[in-house]
Amino acid sequence: MVEIAEIAVSAAELKLGTEPVAGASVTLSHAAPRARYSLRARDAKVLSDVIGRALPGRIGDQADGAICLGPDEWYAILPEGTAMPRGEGLPVSVTDISSRALGLVLEGPGALGVLSSGCPLDLGKMAVGRATRTVFETVEIIVWREAEDRWHVEVWRSFATWLWNAFLAAIPGAHG
Amino acid sequence: MLLIHCPYCEEARPEVEFVYGGEAHIARPLDPSTYSDEQWEEFLYIRSNPRGRHHERWRHTHGCGRFFNAVRDTVTDVFETTYKAGEARK
Amino acid sequence: MSGFRLADGGRIDRRTKRNFTFDGKARWGYAGDSLASALLAQGQMLFGRSFKYHRPRGILGAGVEEPNALVTVDRGPGRVTPNLRAPSVALHDGLKATSQNRFPTLKTDLIAVNNVLSAFFPAGFYNKTFMWPRAAWEKVYEPIIRRLAGLGDSPTTRDPDHYDATYAHCETLVVGAGPAGIAAALEAAANGGRVILIDEQEEIGGGALSDPAQWAWLAEASAKLAAMDNVTVLPRTTAIGHYHQNFVVAAERLTDHLSLAEAEGAREKLWRIRAGEVVLAMGAIERPLVFEGNDVPGVMLASAAKTFALRYGVAVGRKLVVMAVHDSGWRDALALHKAGVNIAAIVDLRRDVASELTEAARNARIACYQGYAVTSVSGGQAVKGVTIALAGIGKGQQLDCDAVLMAGGWTPTVHLWSHAKGTLRWEERWGAYVPDKTHENLRCVGACAGDWDFGKGLSGGLLPAPKPLHESKAFVDFQNDVKARDIGLAVQEGFRSIEHIKRYTTNGMATDQGKTSNLNGLQIASGVLHRPVTEIGLTTFRPPYTPQSFGAILGHHKEALFQPLRKTVIDDWAAAQGAVYENVAQWRRARYFPQGSEDMDAAVARECRTVRSAVGVFDASTLGKIEVVGPDAAEFLNRMYTNPWKSLEPGRCRYGLLLGEHGFIIDDGVSARLAPDRFHLTTTTGGAARVLNLMEDYLQTEWSDLDVWLTSTTEQWAVIAVQGPKARRVIEPLVEGIDLSPEAFPHMSVREGMICGVDTRLFRVSFTGELGFEVNVPAQHGRMVWEAIWAEGQKHGAAAYGTETMHVLRAEKGFIIVGQDTDGTVTPDDAGLGWAVGKKKPDFVGKRSLSRPDIVAPGRKQLVGLLTDDPQAVLEEGAQIVADPNQPVPMTMIGHVTSSYHSATLGRSIAMALVAGGRDRMGETLHIPMPDKTISAKVVAPMFYDAEGSRLNG
Repeated sequence: MVEIAEIAVSAAELKLGTEPVAGASVTLSHAAPRARYSLRARDAKVLSDVIGRALPGRIGDQADGAICLGPDEWYAILPEGTAMPRGEGLPVSVTDISSRALGLVLEGPGALGVLSSGCPLDLGKMAVGRATRTVFETVEIIVWREAEDRWHVEVWRSFATWLWNAFLAAIPGAHG
Repeated sequence: MLLIHCPYCEEARPEVEFVYGGEAHIARPLDPSTYSDEQWEEFLYIRSNPRGRHHERWRHTHGCGRFFNAVRDTVTDVFETTYKAGEARK
Repeated sequence: MSGFRLADGGRIDRRTKRNFTFDGKARWGYAGDSLASALLAQGQMLFGRSFKYHRPRGILGAGVEEPNALVTVDRGPGRVTPNLRAPSVALHDGLKATSQNRFPTLKTDLIAVNNVLSAFFPAGFYNKTFMWPRAAWEKVYEPIIRRLAGLGDSPTTRDPDHYDATYAHCETLVVGAGPAGIAAALEAAANGGRVILIDEQEEIGGGALSDPAQWAWLAEASAKLAAMDNVTVLPRTTAIGHYHQNFVVAAERLTDHLSLAEAEGAREKLWRIRAGEVVLAMGAIERPLVFEGNDVPGVMLASAAKTFALRYGVAVGRKLVVMAVHDSGWRDALALHKAGVNIAAIVDLRRDVASELTEAARNARIACYQGYAVTSVSGGQAVKGVTIALAGIGKGQQLDCDAVLMAGGWTPTVHLWSHAKGTLRWEERWGAYVPDKTHENLRCVGACAGDWDFGKGLSGGLLPAPKPLHESKAFVDFQNDVKARDIGLAVQEGFRSIEHIKRYTTNGMATDQGKTSNLNGLQIASGVLHRPVTEIGLTTFRPPYTPQSFGAILGHHKEALFQPLRKTVIDDWAAAQGAVYENVAQWRRARYFPQGSEDMDAAVARECRTVRSAVGVFDASTLGKIEVVGPDAAEFLNRMYTNPWKSLEPGRCRYGLLLGEHGFIIDDGVSARLAPDRFHLTTTTGGAARVLNLMEDYLQTEWSDLDVWLTSTTEQWAVIAVQGPKARRVIEPLVEGIDLSPEAFPHMSVREGMICGVDTRLFRVSFTGELGFEVNVPAQHGRMVWEAIWAEGQKHGAAAYGTETMHVLRAEKGFIIVGQDTDGTVTPDDAGLGWAVGKKKPDFVGKRSLSRPDIVAPGRKQLVGLLTDDPQAVLEEGAQIVADPNQPVPMTMIGHVTSSYHSATLGRSIAMALVAGGRDRMGETLHIPMPDKTISAKVVAPMFYDAEGSRLNG
């Protein structure tokens, strides 16, 4: 019977970094804390009236932090503490999910390469300002191209540690 | 990995964003209690499993989240078309 | 008599020496050498022993098709790679390579006795011989066969390297950087699109690397490609497979060609490439010829000898004989002659050969034997000479030589074309299959398209011989030791399809996947069956094209990153308390909190007693949670769940039971109505994603008229269960704006308010049977609130408890856990949950199935409690249950134990079980046979504690 050595670093030991990590051409950091809402409605106009904000109509478009994820779904990333009317009784759904996700930011010319290490989309062709739900390997994320070389990534809280470290693994020179 | 055209996102997206949803156009009866045991068995378990053109459901789970229908050739895996849920069988 | 370094020529750097070892002996070569070329230059002809007969074997090819020269490369602990092909191993300083399949040494291999006995080891020998006695297979035959027939050894220590992975996108992907591939890449790049050009060799060039006349062009083209921003050139990168819609997976070897000191960063990188168009320029592989003695070290492909001479400056022998059935053998012989290699003779089975070839050969003073075939090879561990005969059956004639070059024609490399389900067409001119049709945006160029001028030749690889086939030792598959006569035997024994012949003889099933043997095997089968090749069928190429390391395939998913481990916001606190964890779905959850020297039983007993006597605190954050919002929310839940929801008042909770349409339980959970149009649902930890998907499915595709939307809030809320008679006293000082009195806040209610200064959804619910609350707070505050509750709890003797205690406490109350007490075949009635089914509801998911004949038939397995006669005996979960322990084996099993624990509260064991007709067996004694004894137990109701439920009120 061959004895296999213990795994050098177990998943339980992975840590979610708190400070930005800079590689040669890319920096990984946390986004500032945000308010987050899941916004749903068959009719965008009704929802828009409830929350008093314009909503983008095309899937993948983003306006003032509200991303159109699906035909009846928007995901709003707003300044921390932003309150939102619930529209009780109306055919809309406004749900506070501020705590559900964390925002990570990849910035720099190497950011696209880090994201492409695990995201199967052709992100190089994604227009600045567009956003989409997708995956990084097996983990669901929302990718928002805030600027040419700045990507905001939303990830559910419990997956953030894995994602942070998976990004690190893809940043040249950032891993041991 | 398949590339699947999502009729809601209107673009081809990688298969890992999707989840397969079984054969399409098997509507749940409006009143199942009117179904005989044989009809109910048919609804629950009997699928066409064709060689060739297959109508099937996919969900763009890690994208827009929508279920939609597709026609895929089960021999070549080529998608003939995809269309929104609720649209007529193609 | 052996190979040597030519005075000049080749692409090696003769100023830079590389020192390495082979089988422990110091050797050297030049920068630019492969392991094979360096060893050949030093006279090494013997490279390995064959798989089955342990016959001595030398180099056959100069590329990845090499079947014989498999080596193990040792780069230190955990970095041992077996089964590398010597021609594909780049030489670097300090390389440590060893030969394989020999015992104890390459030259003196004791197991080669198999070869002497080979007449007794025909195709199917193992299948036929080691059938009986059955018991001997595992203990005797298999270990011996494994020892004899191993192909390299697996590494036994952990791989210290790491691996990169990426997705990449391009308009054009070119696989293979020979002249045709480079031309295709240049053409595509000129259009401005993104181009990726990959090649498995150390440098790009393919066949041009073995043709000095093309080197100037190659250098120019390489420079041009390197200068283009839209072109990525990846040498040392193997396209493993082509998958749907031009998704090509390739592995780039980043450091294996470097010494350990030079190696930095990841060892390999997995490229997952999606291309608009894929151009396959993978070339063609020369076919060996099948004749007696064709496996003696020194018999090799003519193209390989040419590559060794022209690319590496190595002559594979001092006196070479070429055995050709194809013009390319003549061309290679002439190129070798020009490079200074001594070609003694060209033997060609064809009488008619193009006059420019024969004239050129005669001018080079090469003896030509047209119409002849090699009929045997003398020599054991190296070639000493050949016998040739007119048409293979005439009078034998001896020729001295130390190497024999085979030129059997060419096989286009159509592997990736076939992965893509491209069809193949038999091309008589090639004696091979060439690409035909594909539905992908995929095309082949150059030799792999059948579009290359190698000249003309015969298409069959089996040479005529004086001996009958069944007596010959002419090899078809070198790596798996398959002889032509084995294929004959397979046909004789009734196999007709090439798929069957392949599996019976193992032709083409070794690590080289038959790159040099498939076509010859097909042709021989065709000959024996007297049917055209096209009627024999064709085996299917499947990925990977060449063997790959597991590391490359894993990419980043190694060790700590293998898969995400989800932790709650309270996890760190539990870790600091010394919690022992268990994994539930992707979550890790605290299982119990041992104190001092407590083992699990002691810790769980203490935790259980504390909850029942005082109060316990439990991290329930992993519970799935879904916010259901919209005017039709209640209508929707009414259709999904078995029980009625429309009548539920805001502020109240209900236990929901979820079925599939088949009528079986798939999930459950307590849910609350927060407002007329807003519900807070909970699901099992493992069922969260599945339930959400199922509900979305109904909502989107069956009831799209309903105005209701679902949002996963699993990770929005941290959930802290406070359970026990003192639960209210623990949270009371922390809560604001909620009247906690039993009258104002009864069991199965929900209130919104504040706790510790943050918003809470406070549930009064119990999964323990005690007075209980579940505190939901936004996850970012979870840790703070937990600590406040913990601090308050300390005043009341609180304990933190884990999932194991939670399981015991709920089992004492007979609460089921979906997936443990149910297995996908359990109806509400089976589980004793008939009360949770709304009998008056006209419809809900699964209702129709509850009246199916099988579901209403008597004798179904029903959930019951079991009390062992010996109160200290704890049954094993999953153990089978029988009514009569004295019946003969195999016994009739009537059910199984689903949950079983020692209950500290009751001072005895308790268990739940699914038993056929269980509820009609109350009071009956059943038996649980175990390996060492049979345990008897009495059937009781699955409710062991506080049946009247009085403790819920604290």
